[in-house]
Amino acid sequence: MWIERKALAAEIPAAAALDTRQLCELLAALGFPVDGVASREGGDVLDVDITANRGDAMSHRGMAREVAAKLGQPLTPLAPPPVAEGAPKVPVRLESPACPLYATALLTLNPGLGGGGTPVEAQAFLRALDASAKGLPAVDASNELLHRYGHPTHAFDADRIRGAVTVRWAVAGEKLVTLDGVTRTLLAQDLVIADEAGPIALAGVMGGDGTKVTEATRRVLLESAWFDPKTVRATARRHSLHTDASHRFGRGADPAMAAVARDLLVDRLRTWAGATLEGAWTAGALPAPAAPVTLSEAMLVRVAGEPLTLAEAAEALTRLGCAVVAGSDALAAQPPTWRHDLAIPDDLAEEVLRLRGYEHIPSVLPPLEGPPQRLSPDYLLRRALARRLAHLGFHQTVTYGFISPEADAAFAAPGNAPEGRTLANPLGREYSVLRGTLLSSLKEAAEQNLRQGTREVRLFEVAPTYSSGPAGPEERFTLGLAWGGTQGGEDYLSPARPVREADLRGIAQDLGLAVIPEVRGLGEGLFGFEAPVADLPRPGERIVSTFRPFSRFPSVERDLSLLVDLGQSYGALATAMRAALPADALQDLRCVDVFRHKSLPEGRQAWLIRLRFQVDRTLMGSEVDGWVASALAAAEALGAKLRT
Amino acid sequence: MDHLLPAEILEADRAFPEALAACADLDALLRLKGAYVGREGSHAARLMDLLKAAPKEQKRDLGAAINGLKQGWEEGLTARQTELEAAKKRLNALASSWDPALPPPVPARGALHPLNRLMDRLVEVFRPLGFHVEEGPEVETEAHNFDGLNIPEDHPAKASSDTFYLAAHPELLLRTHTSPVQVRTLLRVAPDLHRLGGIRFLAPGRVYRKDEIDPTHSPMFHQVEGMLVGHGIGMQHLKGTLEYALRALFGPHTEIRLRPSYFPFVEPGCEVDVSCPLCDAQGCRVCKGSGWVEILGAGLLHPNVLRHAGIDPEEWSGWAFGMGVERMAMMLSQTPDLRLFFENDQRFLRAMGGLD
Repeated sequence: MWIERKALAAEIPAAAALDTRQLCELLAALGFPVDGVASREGGDVLDVDITANRGDAMSHRGMAREVAAKLGQPLTPLAPPPVAEGAPKVPVRLESPACPLYATALLTLNPGLGGGGTPVEAQAFLRALDASAKGLPAVDASNELLHRYGHPTHAFDADRIRGAVTVRWAVAGEKLVTLDGVTRTLLAQDLVIADEAGPIALAGVMGGDGTKVTEATRRVLLESAWFDPKTVRATARRHSLHTDASHRFGRGADPAMAAVARDLLVDRLRTWAGATLEGAWTAGALPAPAAPVTLSEAMLVRVAGEPLTLAEAAEALTRLGCAVVAGSDALAAQPPTWRHDLAIPDDLAEEVLRLRGYEHIPSVLPPLEGPPQRLSPDYLLRRALARRLAHLGFHQTVTYGFISPEADAAFAAPGNAPEGRTLANPLGREYSVLRGTLLSSLKEAAEQNLRQGTREVRLFEVAPTYSSGPAGPEERFTLGLAWGGTQGGEDYLSPARPVREADLRGIAQDLGLAVIPEVRGLGEGLFGFEAPVADLPRPGERIVSTFRPFSRFPSVERDLSLLVDLGQSYGALATAMRAALPADALQDLRCVDVFRHKSLPEGRQAWLIRLRFQVDRTLMGSEVDGWVASALAAAEALGAKLRT
Repeated sequence: MDHLLPAEILEADRAFPEALAACADLDALLRLKGAYVGREGSHAARLMDLLKAAPKEQKRDLGAAINGLKQGWEEGLTARQTELEAAKKRLNALASSWDPALPPPVPARGALHPLNRLMDRLVEVFRPLGFHVEEGPEVETEAHNFDGLNIPEDHPAKASSDTFYLAAHPELLLRTHTSPVQVRTLLRVAPDLHRLGGIRFLAPGRVYRKDEIDPTHSPMFHQVEGMLVGHGIGMQHLKGTLEYALRALFGPHTEIRLRPSYFPFVEPGCEVDVSCPLCDAQGCRVCKGSGWVEILGAGLLHPNVLRHAGIDPEEWSGWAFGMGVERMAMMLSQTPDLRLFFENDQRFLRAMGGLD
């Protein structure tokens, strides 16, 4: 909200002694940070950030109250010439508790009889606040009062109002053309001002077009009421109609200001437009004041962290407008009519600290009351996984949790229907489904890297994926990994070669995944796999495992070069060979080389199988020869031949 | 005595030094050796034939001349052989050695994402104070995301213009902050709170708000929530903890500043600024010349938040804070565009995230 320094100083003269920077610091210390300062109409205007709970501060007067309380200096008295109330000229009926109070006045405008229209100072004030004067004194005065004193008012063209004025709930389906020219279809939850022909204003939000003040207006009916904040907020949101009035009523206006604002408006119309007052009257009454709030000394001291006294608290609260009754170990404070946010003792404690300044709060480390808890194994596992993959050369990505239905369908499990994971209000189709797979996101990031000319892309992400369940999307942390491009070739010892599927299977195996996941082709020379993080082995609870004896005798290695069919299953061959060997002696059996060349018989390839034996004694050459012969026989049974 | 020798031999002898020098390797030298002193067909063999056929009275002189020639050739050949062998040895040695300045094979290096790295760091900073990590789902209920946090039922953040909802489950949404982890954790530990002696934890995680993607907005971002519940907890404990943590993060000379603010789930509420870590509070572009940067929002737990979890606010009190990870990462790194954190360019990740 814009606050003009000059206008602020008019409400709190002591503020004139502060320069703009000091004023900004003071406001920030009170909880109203200044986002920027502009120079307009020959003075500084501050863009003040006001939190949603402080509707009372949304005016120059409101801000001045805060400054006055902080400085301990008086406000300029607010004393409009009193307006004598009389019998209603137009009957006003309040039919809803959402409007307990409605002050009004009927005036005749006499542009001929003095009054030069909206004064230049008021026009400049409005311009300084980024608002503009309309040249209609009734409209400009209402607007000026809103910014200066915070209470929204409205002026109707009285000659266009038919019969009595009623504040009532709308009848569902009723129409109202608001000042912005939009036809609004009303709901039964909308509070309206109506005449006998129908709604003439959305209460606390915006006036109606049919009764607006124009150049031709000769008589105005003023409205200075108090509307229930919740009702105003709901109507403003329903109709997407956020106005200066709805902002203030929606955050809680000061009911005591209703009559004052009416009097100020009457006074301005008299001087600006030569208006004569035909009558002023009020329907309803001030809503019941909020109950006093009790603050104990114990709580004050607990929140403040230092031995503040109730007397100090009472002084601060009194400055802020509370009526305080102090007892021996607690005080009771009746908040002023403009503070709807002071409802519980904590609120009072905050006010005392706020006025005193948060810089005085001591700095103390909280004592430990119980033993610290451990980091969860799940969290540690994910953190260790990320570090491990980063050390293996992979880059951790962060991608959005929602993707397009097409990207999801490309890799998500077939049974995982996207309907249960679809957003009702996505940013767009490409961000509409909570992903059932990480691979689409990784593919996109990897391909982007390769397009940028990266030789080799190695990415991983650890993030939740979703599966549709009866009660909603079920989340589980998933590891996704993508690897593509050219591996090696960056130094004189490592030959360059394309990344192969087997590289990813090696990573999956190295991670110790319980189930080796399927490696998917993501694109040209780009592969990926994903697996639930839960499939990764958990570090054992025991720091040091139970000792298991191991042989200190040397192991013996033998290589068998086998010619096998191109279609031979390695798994079947390895299983058959293992079965033929003594399990306690066989340490390892693996294919360490595959040779395919036109020099080999057509349809055959050569596998170099390495066998490693170890037992708890020195092995004899002859017994190893026997084992190798058995392994060879098992391989030959499957059609393999020893390559010579 | 040269008159006793044939002219072509004399010529070969004159040519010998040059031929010797021209032998670039041992093979060439071997060929030269064959030509001069070989058993058959060499100059030396021809001279021996000549000596055999020479008249007796010339034998003595001729023999001496021949010996002189042969000795000269053999000495030359031996010397050259030593030289060539040494050269070959040097070459062999070079061939099996490599200039250590050649780029060696270096294991591939990856990187943690800078946002994850920053969150990990925050956990490490709070760990010595007894904080552990709590986590919660990203798909949340309205009750946990809003109601349990004292957020009024008509709060604008609940609107579908601000929060993502699930089509098939209207009561479910993508959490808009990590604060629902407060609600879940308090509900879980409430029955055990006395035995535990209160609770203190961080909740790092991803959150979602319906913002269009631009240089300063992203519909998904990260927060770290911190919470502490104990006996007699006041603003001094919030300040003390944050001062410790932010100094651990930004350096021992860091100052912090609390300013009053408002969040529905805390009372009193505050914004917390740190003295600008980039300019040492001297004033720079990042702190807009003020020397301070806003780093997080915090406050004492609103009694309704404790009550909602079945915890008596007369006995227990606490504080909470929430910190935007991207905001902090951008500030610290001066990254100009938030979208870089979600593009996952390896060059960015390596430069920004790196490895511990």
